[in-house]
Amino acid sequence: MSTPDSCDRRVFQAEDRATRAVRGFTLLGAIFVLVCAILAFGATRVSGVAGLLAGLLAAGAGGLAGASLLIALAVRFREPLGRLLARVAFPIFMVAVVATVFFAWVPALLYEEVDRLAGSVSTASGEPRQMPLGVAEIRSYLLGSCGVGSAWVATLVASLLWLLQFGLVRDLITVTGIVVFVSLVAMFGIWWERKVAGRIQSRLGPMRVGGWHGWAQSLADGLKLLQKEDIFLSGADRPLFYLAPYVAFVPALSLFSVLPFSAAWVCRDLEIGLIFILALLALGVLGVLLAGWSSNNKWSLLGSMREACQMISYEIPLGFSLLVPVMSVGSLRLTTLGEVQANGFTSWVAFASPFTLAAAVIFFIGTLASCKRAPFDLPEAESELVAGYHTEYSGFRWALFFFAEYAEMFAVGALATILFFGAWYSPLPAAWGAAWERGPIWQRALHGILFSGPLWLIGKSLFFVYLQMWLRWTLPRVRLDQVMFACVQVLLPLALMVLAGNSFWQLWVLPQSGLARLANLVCAVLGALVLVAMLAIIVYARVNRRRLVGSLVVEHLPGA
Amino acid sequence: MQERVYHSYPDLLLDAEGEDLADLRTEEMLINMGPQHPSTHGVLRLVLRTDGELVLEAVPHIGYLHRCAEKIGENLAPYQFIPITDRLDYLAAMNNNYAFSMAVEQLCGIEVPERGRYVRVIMSELNRIASHLVSFGSYALDLGAFTPFLYGFREREYILDLFESACGARLTYSYITIGGPALDLPEGFLENLQQFLDYFEPKIDEYNQLLSYNHIFVRRTAGVGVISPEDAIAWGLTGPCLRGSGVRWDLRKCMPYDIYDRFEFEIPVGVPGGSDGIPRAVVVGDSWCRYFVRIAEMKQSARILRQCLEQIPDGPVRAKVPRVLKLPSKEVYFEAENPRGQLGFLVVGDGSPIPRRVKIRGPSFCNLSIASQICRNVLVADIAAIIGSIDVVMGEVDR
Amino acid sequence: MSEAAMFYVFAAVAAGGAVGCVIAVSIVRMALCLLATLGAVALLYFLLGADFLGAIQLIVYAGGTLVVIVFGIMLTSQGSAARFLPRRGEVVAGLLVSAGLLAGLTAIMLRTEWPQAGAASEASVLHLGSRLLSTYLVPFELASVVLLAVMVGAAYLARPLAGRRTGSGHEG
Repeated sequence: MSTPDSCDRRVFQAEDRATRAVRGFTLLGAIFVLVCAILAFGATRVSGVAGLLAGLLAAGAGGLAGASLLIALAVRFREPLGRLLARVAFPIFMVAVVATVFFAWVPALLYEEVDRLAGSVSTASGEPRQMPLGVAEIRSYLLGSCGVGSAWVATLVASLLWLLQFGLVRDLITVTGIVVFVSLVAMFGIWWERKVAGRIQSRLGPMRVGGWHGWAQSLADGLKLLQKEDIFLSGADRPLFYLAPYVAFVPALSLFSVLPFSAAWVCRDLEIGLIFILALLALGVLGVLLAGWSSNNKWSLLGSMREACQMISYEIPLGFSLLVPVMSVGSLRLTTLGEVQANGFTSWVAFASPFTLAAAVIFFIGTLASCKRAPFDLPEAESELVAGYHTEYSGFRWALFFFAEYAEMFAVGALATILFFGAWYSPLPAAWGAAWERGPIWQRALHGILFSGPLWLIGKSLFFVYLQMWLRWTLPRVRLDQVMFACVQVLLPLALMVLAGNSFWQLWVLPQSGLARLANLVCAVLGALVLVAMLAIIVYARVNRRRLVGSLVVEHLPGA
Repeated sequence: MQERVYHSYPDLLLDAEGEDLADLRTEEMLINMGPQHPSTHGVLRLVLRTDGELVLEAVPHIGYLHRCAEKIGENLAPYQFIPITDRLDYLAAMNNNYAFSMAVEQLCGIEVPERGRYVRVIMSELNRIASHLVSFGSYALDLGAFTPFLYGFREREYILDLFESACGARLTYSYITIGGPALDLPEGFLENLQQFLDYFEPKIDEYNQLLSYNHIFVRRTAGVGVISPEDAIAWGLTGPCLRGSGVRWDLRKCMPYDIYDRFEFEIPVGVPGGSDGIPRAVVVGDSWCRYFVRIAEMKQSARILRQCLEQIPDGPVRAKVPRVLKLPSKEVYFEAENPRGQLGFLVVGDGSPIPRRVKIRGPSFCNLSIASQICRNVLVADIAAIIGSIDVVMGEVDR
Repeated sequence: MSEAAMFYVFAAVAAGGAVGCVIAVSIVRMALCLLATLGAVALLYFLLGADFLGAIQLIVYAGGTLVVIVFGIMLTSQGSAARFLPRRGEVVAGLLVSAGLLAGLTAIMLRTEWPQAGAASEASVLHLGSRLLSTYLVPFELASVVLLAVMVGAAYLARPLAGRRTGSGHEG
């Protein structure tokens, strides 16, 4: 069609590009189909290694053919497809959330199945079998004892279960799961921060991307950042500049390899788990220092020096406050520290004595400084240093710093939960639900939701993350010398006194004595009151929001 | 203009006898803050000479927003110049229009009708509240508290809605012209204003709870950037900067112009800490005092507005002014109390419709001059606190 | 078998980091190579089963000492142009001494009868702590006294002198 001269030709150029793309991909698909056919034909003729190779290549070509044809179809029908996607985006999201939770559980069940299998196969034949079992053995067991119908399904399942015997495979799956989880946590954290910030500032936050309350905002931002131009400064030290985001991100990610999500859900249950976490938190300082230095920018340098100063100083009260639950429980192993708190709300370490309560508060303040969150966010002081040590980073490198920050926020929240606030146990004592731990699947799911399970740990950690966000958007920033004063002259003496006090408490107060029980009760009641107060504030604010926020906001903004 | 030459640290760390006190030679840096910077309130360039975190000297470089307003005034008739006055202190455009109109009216002997005078005062005081809300919000933002900024702007939306209903614009109004406001108030304006005042006055207490008495905020601003009253007068400060140092001087009370002598209101001044709720660490003339004077002025403006609502008569708003206004051959200098200080216009007429000279005395220009004096031996973080408390708008500084 | 492979990798990183530290020209790169060395040593500790020692190595050396070094660099160097270019005589002398040291150490290592380590002992933190407080109490206390002396010395050296300008009048 001929375009009138007054019209913008770029619209039609876009149309041309789309038709060209469709044609191109269809052609590509056809070529791949041809190649696949030839190779498949060749594979049936030639035998041996060459035949196998040809078969594999044929399969690859077939896959590529399918992909190209799918892309061609998607571009051809992009408009109805786009409308359909907008409609189903939110249901897909909800299904994805549920599926993620479900699929995190499936490997655990499969591991159990494999272990049980190994045990039962050896006893069945009357003599211990050599581990690892072969595929044929598993297959015969499945066909025989388990009553699996077709041999084909049995072969498939047997090869899967055979793979899962090896520690290396299990580790790979766990590491993949951790990486996926950390990414999800970071993306969720960023979205939630924007929503929380918006609500505190009497506005809404992201609302559009993905439909329901902008849930896909982080996803869209991540994709945008991935395709951004890689800006590099002329005077900066190139290898260091490239290295710094990774030196900042890797310790934050490695923290999760030691964090237990439940008694059995831990990648590596180190005996010195807590010390290892302290070590990784200390390593995070170096990434920031490198980033500030290699940017060749005085402002970034200032920001990174301030940040290093702050992080290192606050590690001391942090370490002291971490020693208090270690003293109470007597172990550095994180799973042990968690399992002690199985008997309900009053058995949580934070409520064991007033000293542990104080240690929990000191720990939280220390983690605020460690994660560079307001009121200690000098390194990212936007109004003074633009963005501090990561001013000169753009695109995905900057996203890595952000990911590191949110991953660290979640990790220290999880640490606070494990050490002080009941780990993966619910406020109900685990003894009440002990019977359900070995029952059928639905009972175990219910046990996980009600009594103990990873969901509780994640939920409580997210609460601490929310607390950090709440403080960030309420309080102004503390100046550097005031930060150092607060650390060395206020927090450190307090931490020392708490540590000394707790040692005396451990020495002189017997665990079941009246004083201990009284202190436990008082602290537990205090903790419960704080929770109830927070809930009351939420309810009050919800009921009175028109008066508190102003009628303008409530009337003009949908969904407010 | 001669370029200042910066030497690297020879005369820095010497005591009274010239002895070098520094055992540890650390690096001295020349840091450029601005002209594009999130906390310099416009295009202000501050060159800081720092020793680590300590700022030894801060030199402001201005002129990035110079738009030859005064020269333009020699080529435009007074009503054509009104939109230029809008853009001087763009956050208090009504006040600028007001000052210039009064200067020209004094020059030409024009009498504005009563209703017009009340409308002018209403607009001017509303704009004072709006301007102080911006200053409050951006000061909090500089110090890292993100939320008060949005609360201030939420209130400001109501005021801008009122302005939009009156004259159609939200920032640069050109509403108050020679002879009075250009248009009468629309229907329902006074009712909406009443509603706004009822909504707004409790919010000031909220701001005090959220920010003013917040321990961290007080620690960041109390005792920082202290200006003594003698210094304030010597350097020509006006407005909240002057009143924050304890000098009781407000043009609306001390040299009342227009109808300001008909209203009852107080002038807030800086008081030392410890008395009636003021935090103990506060020193008269520090940043907290300057900030708090603005919060208190918002309350007083609300008070004036309520009195205007009671007293406003009916009638015409604008005097009859000839289309071609010949300016008599004399000069008039008129100063009005703007949110940032005293804005002065010198208008020199020579018998023709175009003035011979329009000179603008921008309050922020004089207020900014003290920055190099008080930004010594403070930390870099304090620079944001000090410049924010002086509350400069570069449109006025550079004109 | 995989343990041997891991050992060689970590040892190579440690050695490479050390060499890089010596020959690096920019001072910050030196610090980074030092980080690599210290990290590889910590990994070697983990490989030997000394978890606690590996973690402490990371905290004290990589997270403490190295950060102090980097801080010192950033506060006192004349920008990223700080370069270390040794003279040729220095390089030759250094190479000779290192070669001699390497030869001597290799000879000693080849001649020593290394005892076979038994099963990895239960070097748990509990045992470590109780030994420190019973058998090795005196060295432990002496080390704490030395550290205290270091801290007091550092605080004394960094004191603000009379008349020297410090931060804005009010203490933070």
